[in-house]
Amino acid sequence: MGLPVFYLFPGFNLVTFLTGFVNFYALYIAISISLNLEFGYAGVPNFGKVLFIAGGASVTGSITGRLAAYVLNINTHGDFITFNFRIIGQINPLLPSVPWFTLGLLLLGVVIGAAIGALFGFLASYPAIRLREDYLGMLLLGVAQFYQVVLRTYTPLTGGAQNILVPDPYYYFISLGSGYRDLAAAVVMSIFAVLVFVYAERVARSPLGRTLKAVRESEDAARSLGKDDVKIRRNVLIVASAIAGIAGALFTFYVSSVEYDTWTRFAWTFWPFLIVIIGGIGNNYGVALGAFFFAMVYKSLAQIQPYIQPYIFFDANWLQDLLFAALLVVILLLRPEGILKEKSAPTLSKSKLSTIITSGGEPVLEHVGGSQTDSRLARLKRFISRTSSRSHRSSNEDSANV
Amino acid sequence: MVPGYLISTVVYGTLFALMAMGLTLTYMTTKVPNFAYGSFVTIGLYTAYHFTKVFKINPYGASIFAFILAGLVSVLMYVGILRPLARRGNSLVALMIATFGVDIGFVGIFGIYTDYMQSRYKLSDASQFFALPGDITLFGVQGVVFIAPIVLALITIGLYLLLKRTRFGIAMRASVENAPLARVLGINVERVYIVSWMLAGGFAGLAGALYTLWLPGGTSTGSDLIVEIFASSVLGGLGSIFGAVAGGLMIGASEDLVTTGLSLGFGYILTGAFAVIVLAVAAVAWRRRGRDAKILGVFFAVVGLYMFVEMATGFKTDLFVGGLVNGFGPDVTPFQKAIPLLVMVLTLVILPHGIVSLKLSSLRRKKE
Repeated sequence: MGLPVFYLFPGFNLVTFLTGFVNFYALYIAISISLNLEFGYAGVPNFGKVLFIAGGASVTGSITGRLAAYVLNINTHGDFITFNFRIIGQINPLLPSVPWFTLGLLLLGVVIGAAIGALFGFLASYPAIRLREDYLGMLLLGVAQFYQVVLRTYTPLTGGAQNILVPDPYYYFISLGSGYRDLAAAVVMSIFAVLVFVYAERVARSPLGRTLKAVRESEDAARSLGKDDVKIRRNVLIVASAIAGIAGALFTFYVSSVEYDTWTRFAWTFWPFLIVIIGGIGNNYGVALGAFFFAMVYKSLAQIQPYIQPYIFFDANWLQDLLFAALLVVILLLRPEGILKEKSAPTLSKSKLSTIITSGGEPVLEHVGGSQTDSRLARLKRFISRTSSRSHRSSNEDSANV
Repeated sequence: MVPGYLISTVVYGTLFALMAMGLTLTYMTTKVPNFAYGSFVTIGLYTAYHFTKVFKINPYGASIFAFILAGLVSVLMYVGILRPLARRGNSLVALMIATFGVDIGFVGIFGIYTDYMQSRYKLSDASQFFALPGDITLFGVQGVVFIAPIVLALITIGLYLLLKRTRFGIAMRASVENAPLARVLGINVERVYIVSWMLAGGFAGLAGALYTLWLPGGTSTGSDLIVEIFASSVLGGLGSIFGAVAGGLMIGASEDLVTTGLSLGFGYILTGAFAVIVLAVAAVAWRRRGRDAKILGVFFAVVGLYMFVEMATGFKTDLFVGGLVNGFGPDVTPFQKAIPLLVMVLTLVILPHGIVSLKLSSLRRKKE
């Protein structure tokens, strides 16, 4: 018994495809939105994105396995790495009998991922607020590459080249039938992605979002208005990196292992950048759309790969790399602003603006008092009504742009 | 007999100097850090591989073709991708992402190439191969130990003469300094840029071909080396070709020497020298403006003095200094790449303009 099987055409099970797709899509939405937060809004191009994701993933994988072995009283023979497969093999069947601990393990993983991501983000903020984009890019790329080498060669953390397994919090769902485990993971991942999206969109619509853009456009102008650009950039990097760390932790639970060769700078730094550029820099809806497009292309390629593989002498995965590289260049050439353009920052909601306009002036202004303030407010109101009536004609989002 | 790691240091440093020179050239012309530069090295690597395995020509013979091929690819990348993008008005970050994308494209191309080699010539080691044979032996060591530095010296001298003695070199420097002004004076800036990119790619290809004689290579070798290449360039100041040579030599040497030293132990004398270097870095940092440089200066001064005291009194209780003197063992090798990174970070904090900006007179306290 498993999830319902629905073959769209022979060899293509729509349900399996969809769960896989949702997992991938949600993961990359979260990562790209966090990248958009630092790159699109605050103007910090994080060329070491893989570092924060891999950091969250590897430390979470390393700690949760050890903790579970300790709590569930499993003999590690004093060497968690060497006997890892056997230890995790003993832990996993026990997890369904302790659901609260399993849930706690998942949440702990998320917390660890966030903490490691935030820590790395804090460390990265030191150069990020001081260096120009090109120097910063080189540095972060280098640090990420270094972390990858450490993961590959330093065995105590995640077993180096041996790889380690991670306790599987979705283990219970395997007993329900095939496909349910991925479904459970997809649900968790989707909740996370939605939370990240809502958070990012709230930030974008708050005064903070406008401050971020101000810092991006001109540090000096932002500083002259009393905004602490150093602090703002640091905080953005910490928050975005924490999100990336959580994404890494959830990913490591989903694949239930930590493998050093997963963490390439192509899959975890370049793809998010590609998504942000496809979708539209500084536009969360655009990024979500870009991630959808990207995930669709990626998953479709994986579907058609078996069909083209017999006709070519090389691994069809290489074509995918070439395709994405070409896609990036073509988009930068033809539509650098992405699918959805960056919108001007919304200040007041449309309903509030229309309340001011329809109030006819008197009730809103009366209680403010003072002739000077009054005239200034009246001028503001005239300005709002002018801009708003203009944009009503063009029915554009710019209406909120005061 | 010269210890093996010293010989390896020579080759390593030389190759990084070549690569850093090329990267600096591209950076000077287009002001974009080229993340795909490591792939040019891989092109050189695979040219040598192809010539050795298929045409039975040794990597020295292949190095000329590696120079040409990598140079052409480099020019193609500039003319076909970076220049149109820059003309389209894309930002610096967009161009950086584009070079990143080109790098991933190269990954695909190398993958296709190695799969082709495997299916066509049944070469099972195509994606990961050992150092190639075909080198001569001089004085009991491989010829590349002598030939690589000679090649570097010739190229450096040649480039010096080109830049300082020829009209084209003057045009080149003018275009780098101020492109609009050079254009006004009738210099064909585009041609200068194309030649720069040709040379830059060529140096990478050449270094890659020589690399195969000394070390094992693979499809990801170039991408893995990019950290060291960037570190070398930054140490050299990113604006000076000859600074890049010095930076590459220093990075290559420090990476090899420091890692070997850390695992085997420096002994008292070298640890003492190391402490002196730390103190010197502290002094340089202290002379810089800014709170962070001062903090770093104090930190290094404390570390250096502590190392001295610890060594002088012979306390071996301290793990750090004890490890420096007697060796940490092979556990440090994973952190080998940390050394170029650390150098890069320190350079950016203390000497943002690289070693070319360093003048000994600045260490002396000026009269106020």
